[in-house]
Amino acid sequence: MSPRKRAGASTEARAEARFVQPEFARVPARRILVVSPTVQIRLGPGDRALVSAGQKVNPGMPIAERTCDAEFIDVGRLNRPANGSGHENGPARPIDPGQERRRPPQPGKWWVGGDDRRGKTARRETPRRVAGTLLYEMDGRWTAAAGDRHEKVESPTSGVVVEAENCIGITMKVNGVAIPAAVAGGQPTRGYLDVPRLVDGELRDTTLDVGRSGAIVVAGGRVSAEMLTRARAMSIRGMVAGSLGQAELRDLAASEARQRAGLHTTPPFGALGLDGHQRRPIASPILALLAALAGREVAILIDPPLLVLDVVDVPLPELPPDWVRVRNGVHAGREGRWLSSAGLHRFRAGIHLEAANIRLGDDLQPTVIALADLERFIL
Amino acid sequence: MSRQPRAFFALDFGSATTSAALVGHAGGRWRLLAHSAAPSTTDLDALLFGILDRVEHADSELLEFVSARERPNTAALVADLARLESRSTPPRRIAVLAGSKRQRRRLEEVAARAGWLVVGGSADVSDPLELSRLVLAWDTHAVLLGADSTPGGDEKRHLPMLGALVAAAARRRPELAVVLAGGAAIQESDFHGAGEHDRIPEVVKVVEPVAETAAEPEGDTGEEAAADAAAEGAAKDADAAVGDQPADIATADAAAPAAPVDAAPAPEPPPAPAQEREFTAPIEAPPTDRHDSVLLAPDAESGQPAGSALQQVLEGLRARSDDTRLGIARSVRSLALLLDKSIEAIEVGIDGGLRCRAEPFGPGHRNIVSSHVTMAGGSFTPEDLTDEIIDAVLSWSTIAFDRYRLSDRLRDLRSSPWGEADGEGALLRLAAAKAAVERLVAATPEISAREMPDILIAAGGVWSSTPPSVVALAMADLVRRPGVGRLACDQARLLGPLGAIADEDERRKMLKDLVGDVLLPLGSLVLPAGIRQGRSAGRMRVTGDTANSDIDLQPGGIWAVELQPGQTATADMEFKDAVRLGARGRRFSVEVSGGLGGLFVDLRDIPLRLPDRADQKRATWESWQRAMWTEIDE
Repeated sequence: MSPRKRAGASTEARAEARFVQPEFARVPARRILVVSPTVQIRLGPGDRALVSAGQKVNPGMPIAERTCDAEFIDVGRLNRPANGSGHENGPARPIDPGQERRRPPQPGKWWVGGDDRRGKTARRETPRRVAGTLLYEMDGRWTAAAGDRHEKVESPTSGVVVEAENCIGITMKVNGVAIPAAVAGGQPTRGYLDVPRLVDGELRDTTLDVGRSGAIVVAGGRVSAEMLTRARAMSIRGMVAGSLGQAELRDLAASEARQRAGLHTTPPFGALGLDGHQRRPIASPILALLAALAGREVAILIDPPLLVLDVVDVPLPELPPDWVRVRNGVHAGREGRWLSSAGLHRFRAGIHLEAANIRLGDDLQPTVIALADLERFIL
Repeated sequence: MSRQPRAFFALDFGSATTSAALVGHAGGRWRLLAHSAAPSTTDLDALLFGILDRVEHADSELLEFVSARERPNTAALVADLARLESRSTPPRRIAVLAGSKRQRRRLEEVAARAGWLVVGGSADVSDPLELSRLVLAWDTHAVLLGADSTPGGDEKRHLPMLGALVAAAARRRPELAVVLAGGAAIQESDFHGAGEHDRIPEVVKVVEPVAETAAEPEGDTGEEAAADAAAEGAAKDADAAVGDQPADIATADAAAPAAPVDAAPAPEPPPAPAQEREFTAPIEAPPTDRHDSVLLAPDAESGQPAGSALQQVLEGLRARSDDTRLGIARSVRSLALLLDKSIEAIEVGIDGGLRCRAEPFGPGHRNIVSSHVTMAGGSFTPEDLTDEIIDAVLSWSTIAFDRYRLSDRLRDLRSSPWGEADGEGALLRLAAAKAAVERLVAATPEISAREMPDILIAAGGVWSSTPPSVVALAMADLVRRPGVGRLACDQARLLGPLGAIADEDERRKMLKDLVGDVLLPLGSLVLPAGIRQGRSAGRMRVTGDTANSDIDLQPGGIWAVELQPGQTATADMEFKDAVRLGARGRRFSVEVSGGLGGLFVDLRDIPLRLPDRADQKRATWESWQRAMWTEIDE
């Protein structure tokens, strides 16, 4: 399997697939690449978007500001500016501090605490300066979600902002193509793609060293909680694996929470499971694609789970049109070629399922596998 | 000869499975000609083409007849035949806010019974920031702010703050649907009194009962009749009037679109009997994606059973007009009227589950009492996979799993619901389905309190690949009420699409023709209660045309007596002590009908008593399961 084609050749690849039997079309298709996906960066009360709809963003550009220690604050009465334009809910909102200040108070508007709203100040303490977003007005008094610790959210990839709302989130149409994944944890992040040598499809813990700092590492079939901890400690930006278990995701979420609570935050770290939660090796066409992209800048996005490649011109793996992979069951992860339909077949426990004869790897005998346990790749 | 095809496709677009059936008018009635199911990712035309191809190979003359064409081109028929469709509504999330924890729990329960994924918070426990997070979250589609019709002090003092908070969120997110229930309606003014540049949402009041009912005194809904009988002489306040509204399917009834089956040459419907009720107009909420309105709804106690009035409003807000689960509930209701029997259906899917029941108000009565609950938590692998759900699956499983491994498998089952349907995967699926049914049963005490239904239907894709005797055993494990009932399965998944037929008469007429095809008989279930442990409980003699059996009834066991589909027999039982089997007594003689699983005689305890230790519990399940699933070791 050589990475020779280009993304533009996807139509050709689909045409190639048509010559196989019609039953082959009943095998669930898995798209290896999606073009210009729409992604979301979620915000909560106290967070503000620093971009507006229609704006182009580049990797590393600040797109939002999170209030790490947002708490409920009674703001009190706020005066409406005499010359406030007011159109708070309009789709486009240029971020001009002057214009922002001139807007009348509205739910979601960015608010910076005045001298009398900087929290309780003991005589010898420095007054706290709090900022956040307004929540609601009741009896003329405003409340806010605000705090004094803020962090910038940088765009992990380039794209165009579709929608940006304080407290709610940012929707972005990404430039380039992305590999869809099944599960993700951590935060959106960016780094260079590192495809180390895998032993039996797995990555050894010792492979993760400080030399891979700033990388997004392809970690084989499964990534363990220890490996994630080690990777974070080595300033690695992310891990991509065939699967990501729920236990690892919980550990990662707990680790994220601890990081947020700390004063000195570390760079964002994300993890992607390409196939799901149960252990499976990375599909060979995807591994070939990742190997061809090694060294290039990529981004991990969480919502939806994606490995964004930022570019359209991607070397695509050359796939035989009858190439299939076993997704579930005892042969999960193995790949081979479609031979013929096996019709309704009786499987274990007397279950009857539509099946196909597949030649897995170098096996001499074909194996009967349920159609629903197979997947074929489309580019 | 008419040029119009005498056939149509009935399509059920589930979240995991697309099910298609070809229904044709042949031999003077509508018949199920063929059906098939495939993962929802499968190309629909390929699925339909496959069905037509099979019919053509089996009986080409039949296909010519129903398609009204000579040498019909199957590819053209795929495009030309009418389609009757139903779809699963994707799961949506509602944020429930209340002034007190007590009120919040009630509202959450009602919202969950209406099929919503629920997150909730109460002002006495959570601060406004936390509540704002719930409301502003990206995946929150609606907000329910509720209070008692006369709010108590514990919630009244929080209502102004909650009203302001929700109004502010609605301004930020115009697509958010807002429901003010009960006493929270007083906060309606918050949605008008904002600044000059704010959008002023339209307030829609849905608490008023529909006046059409009064014009049709004979046409009361079943719920009305039941409520009237139960609450005769009771004072009726405004809330009670709301509660008298049909608590089940009226919303979707009127909201259902004109079904494409109209294109098929259905025979003229017979004139409606004089006693037969007219369907009233529904309490209707706009099931659109953009909700520029605030709905004022009844409180969480209104209706019979309590909360049904609010449940109806929330269901209308959530579900599509052609929702499959509501369609099943409608079809079950029509079947109950048609067969004059009590019918219960349990459906389990990937995005939720349904439990519904319909029964005639009395023998020979044309009024139907019905109720239904759709629950996102009734999914066999819910989106919010909590520790409780994992524990429940573990408790039904015959395989030993560690919690994380089971969690991973259930999550992968959600992303690949057709994956590994054999071997260990089949056992896992069965345990997950049983846990889902258990949640549905727990959420519907009003249905569980009724007697054993005459017909118990298992529906949903999760049962489709399971052997019939195992499905029957699962039903016996979960719906444990003394009595005798028939078990059936909606194998072709026709109940949902047929429920999309808006006209009740036409739906009933279609079901009358199709009832034998829709309900695949699994067998009959005999389930006596009050049997003493430790010795023979008595004897049972089954006498039929071809089957004669004599069984020594041993307490604690379950037996399957072979009785083929279509066969009937008489089961004469003589118990040593008095037991409950509908009525209390020692001798019973009941008519039973056969099915793919046969006749099931279940002498286990009601409710089931199981060992506390997990390994012993697994062994107990396995021993019962193995008796019904002999292929399990293949």
